[in-house]
Amino acid sequence: MDPSIVDFLKDTVGEDNVSSELIDLISHSADASVFRHRPDLVVYATTTEQVSAILKMVHEERIPLTPRGAGTNVSGEAVPIRGGIVLDLSRMDRILEISLEDRVVVVQPGVIYADLNNLLAPRGFVFPPDPASGIAATIGGNVATNAGGVRASKYGVTQDYVRGLKVVLPGGKVMRTGGRTMKSSSGFNLTQLFVGSEGTLGVITEIILKIKPKTTETCTAMATFAQLVDAGRAVSQIMLAGAIPSVLEIVEKNCIRAINQNTTLNLPEVEAILLTETDGFVKEEALFQMNKIIEIFQENGAMEVKWAESEEEAEALWKARKSAYAVISRLNNTTFGEDITVPLSKVPDMLCVLEEVGAKYNLIFPTVGHMGDGNLHPHFSYNRTNPDEVTRVKKAERELYQKAIKLGGTLTGEHGIGLAKAPFMCLEHDPAAMATMRSLKKVFDPHNILNPGKMDLEICNG
Amino acid sequence: MVEKLPRSSKLYDQILRCNHCGFCQGACPLFKVTRRNALNARGKMILLQDMLDGRQEVCNGLIETLFQCTLCGGCENQCPAGVNVPEIVKAVRRDMVDIGTCHPIFENMNQILDEHANIYSIDERETFGRKVNAKADFVYFVGCVGQYREEEAVEATLDILDYLDVDYTLIEEGCCSGVLEDVGFSMHDNLVQRNLSLIRDTGARTIITGCPYCMRTFKNKEQYKPLRDAGIEVMHVSQFFKHFDFKIETDLKVTYHDPCDLGRHCGIYEEPRQTIRKIAPNFAEMLNHHAEALCCGAGGGVRGAYAQNSVAMARYRLQQAENIGVDVLLTECNSCVHNLSNAKVRRQKFEIYTTSQFVRLLLEADGLVISHETS
Repeated sequence: MDPSIVDFLKDTVGEDNVSSELIDLISHSADASVFRHRPDLVVYATTTEQVSAILKMVHEERIPLTPRGAGTNVSGEAVPIRGGIVLDLSRMDRILEISLEDRVVVVQPGVIYADLNNLLAPRGFVFPPDPASGIAATIGGNVATNAGGVRASKYGVTQDYVRGLKVVLPGGKVMRTGGRTMKSSSGFNLTQLFVGSEGTLGVITEIILKIKPKTTETCTAMATFAQLVDAGRAVSQIMLAGAIPSVLEIVEKNCIRAINQNTTLNLPEVEAILLTETDGFVKEEALFQMNKIIEIFQENGAMEVKWAESEEEAEALWKARKSAYAVISRLNNTTFGEDITVPLSKVPDMLCVLEEVGAKYNLIFPTVGHMGDGNLHPHFSYNRTNPDEVTRVKKAERELYQKAIKLGGTLTGEHGIGLAKAPFMCLEHDPAAMATMRSLKKVFDPHNILNPGKMDLEICNG
Repeated sequence: MVEKLPRSSKLYDQILRCNHCGFCQGACPLFKVTRRNALNARGKMILLQDMLDGRQEVCNGLIETLFQCTLCGGCENQCPAGVNVPEIVKAVRRDMVDIGTCHPIFENMNQILDEHANIYSIDERETFGRKVNAKADFVYFVGCVGQYREEEAVEATLDILDYLDVDYTLIEEGCCSGVLEDVGFSMHDNLVQRNLSLIRDTGARTIITGCPYCMRTFKNKEQYKPLRDAGIEVMHVSQFFKHFDFKIETDLKVTYHDPCDLGRHCGIYEEPRQTIRKIAPNFAEMLNHHAEALCCGAGGGVRGAYAQNSVAMARYRLQQAENIGVDVLLTECNSCVHNLSNAKVRRQKFEIYTTSQFVRLLLEADGLVISHETS
């Protein structure tokens, strides 16, 4: 990179916040995906003014810039595939305001999800989306990927909590969107345009989030099913009955088998286990919902229903679900979790598709999923040094997407598009929608310098 | 590249298993204070994957990350794929030393232990007025930090051993030298043989260590296998003290910092707490405790080689104690006490002690005179 640009950046953010050291370039070459590309420079910004100056410069100099939070994203969103600058926002990590009266918090993008909730918990409040990576993921990244978690069926995902943003646009203009009100019908909803935009439209430097009072009571239960179809029907009945689980998770047979082979949990070798939690501010509330769900489990062929009588018992039931990712991650040297989401009624069909596609390509997809919102995580677990296996994985992946879309589903429920799913965007979005997205990209970023190469915003490969 | 990095290559499959999820960032004390990806376990694993796959040559530019890690194991504890980062970091350090790419501080440490019996190159020995190299049931093995940096903590432990009428002896110990394997070198056989022989000569059946790291070395390193073969038990002082009821109690609010070498690396979490809860019912945990405890920043050679970050990590940990409003922070490692005490800022009014120091204070407050009379 031109030395005068490096000097400018050092003047802007300080010597310690600009690095072209090998170790920094390498560590910013990857995120939690399989993609990799080194940037030319890593810059840490700590203020909106700095971000503005940087975005003005890269806009003028046509230098690619990839914003990054914790880099826990799994689809390649934070990989600087065209080189240039990685703008690391993890040092922009102040919680600017907690207003319980307004039920909002104002945070910088580098605040870590868990740190925010650790601060809110003693006050009886929570920012609920709860991504699995919450211990490390930043709020900025949560917003940029519209992250979700296991409680999304009741509490929604990040988009349901973002009320306002401060965003720096390519060229350096600072824009405020939304605000701290609980509702607004004023103009285009620019705030939501940036939720899930993966750093392709602007750099978010301040976030106003809605928070919720934290429930204090929970009930937990587990049911086993000999037939996948029974588990699927039970889920449909829960929806029909208007029951409200705070968590409704599935662990299917391939996953159960992997857990049993690699742990001492000794789970029943059934087709599917459903794990559920209900919650409330008084025990009766959680019990009321749980009674409805248990009844439905029993009416739909559950073999065994276990109701946790204590916190320890609940923890024991959760072990099956919580151990899944760790077990799957250890099966082979490469693991990535898909994120297909289908209409609630189509979950059983999608589970059958996984079976079919797995058999066709001689692959097994240990799967967990959020049944309450139709979000399935079949995992590819393979040896990336074996070219044949890699080819089969790639073919199976495409077929899974095609079939999910056919069922009325989406490529991704909570992980985002990034590089991994960019080639499939046109499967899901019609030409008019793709053209609109590309036009929007052009409006905000005419020179395509912000996180270029992501989300198929350049050419259609479909 | 594989030929150049034989030890790291043996761990290639482990290294590949890091799928860069980044969960380790939430547990890495160094990342918490620097917010620098390169220094976290994931940054190291991405680099090692590049090195072993031939995309990156070994060079001096890599020292700053590969030789900067406290080996606390917080990352491994958090890692869904179970990647044993501390072992990998140790292996690559040894490979790099063999190639001639090493942090100068660690080269120096290796040289010091060639010439002296401890890492501080001090030749006068502190005997604490106790018997040395005598026949006894127990050997109390002090460790370098206790011997030359945290003498008061050692004194307190010895006072309590006296108070309990334990038949122990000190020895003219040398550094256990385990630390050398952490920073890319080999343990020094002369030091090992010296310790083995002195311990044997006492006829003791049990070694009590004040330093959790020395305990790990004695218990796990091949070089100290003769101890195990001879049926000599090794325990940390916290395991020894848990059996005693000191019949003292305080109202002070107390917390406990799990030393990495005792907690995550040896699974000893409850024994120290058993003692502490007996004497301090007003006990509270910090935000991160047990297997999730944050490192004090001293381990893996970081205190010597990267002092600024080491102090920053200690301050981060102290902030967690401050956040819960404690009067006393206890720990069971002289090295942790040393680093945390050095990092404490004026507004932090709480005291930092080893459990032994605190027990002695309470016993003294109770009117017991237990100070050892130097013979």
